[in-house]
Amino acid sequence: MKKLFVLTLSLITLSFPAFAAGQVVKVSVNGLVCDFCARALEKTFGKQEAVEDIGVDLDTKIVTVNLKEGQDMDDERIKELITDSGYNVEGITRE
Amino acid sequence: MKYLALTAAVLMAALPAQARPVSYPGGITAMITNDGDKNSVHIHYSPTAKTSIGYKGEYWRVQEFGINAVQMNNLLKRWNEKDSQANLYLKSGVGLAYSDYGDFDHEVDAVAFTGISADWEDRRRFISYENRYTEAGDIADFFMQSARVGWAPYEGDYGDLHTWLMLQVDHNPESDQNFTATPLVRLFKGVHLFEAGISTEGKAMLNYVIRY
Repeated sequence: MKKLFVLTLSLITLSFPAFAAGQVVKVSVNGLVCDFCARALEKTFGKQEAVEDIGVDLDTKIVTVNLKEGQDMDDERIKELITDSGYNVEGITRE
Repeated sequence: MKYLALTAAVLMAALPAQARPVSYPGGITAMITNDGDKNSVHIHYSPTAKTSIGYKGEYWRVQEFGINAVQMNNLLKRWNEKDSQANLYLKSGVGLAYSDYGDFDHEVDAVAFTGISADWEDRRRFISYENRYTEAGDIADFFMQSARVGWAPYEGDYGDLHTWLMLQVDHNPESDQNFTATPLVRLFKGVHLFEAGISTEGKAMLNYVIRY
């Protein structure tokens, strides 16, 4: 019984991050050609309360925005932030 | 003559800039450049992604004059494509010029300058052009322009060390040597950009940019 309890507790603990993670938004961006561009988006999104962190892939031109648990950011706001940083949004998908 | 024609063709064909004069909103950039003619520093703040304002200081070693100015840079147009980006900027400044040269020693005069710069780049190719007209009363009055082409031997990911091989051609009609060419290496990692080269006159170029 004790083993079963420990096993169940372990599984719950291990799986917790998956439940706790927030939304992941993938944004296809035009004009990303160098590290300065990537850093500009990191700085801009880093100031947003809803954003946990972002990743920039210069090969695919995809910006991955990881939102905090329970937080949301609509497409219009994401487009606004990227446009204000000097780039263009091609498309947005959510996971 | 062929050399002049070739250089002029490169200057005409090239449209773009050595280091982007406007950063992201809230970004601060410091640029230090040293070449065969002058030493300069430009520190600017970008309230938006289309404008930056800051201090520009220059010292022309042979002509023995310097400039202290407030410079404003405006992004006139940006073309964002899937794999490339192009920009057109207007760069202008006003301030004071001072001279250490001969009869003009200790002379101070108002200075104003303006010019355009443009650039196009993808992750492996780079081309840029910029010009500037400077008016500083009795101290100086000149036009200059330069162009660059660059090639990256590999594509680095974000955060990697990026390496570029470049050729810069400068045209300074007022100088003894109207045209100079400078092969250089650009190393770029994170917020740091460093350039080193040697001109056809054997003079060193050392540039450093930090953006944060």
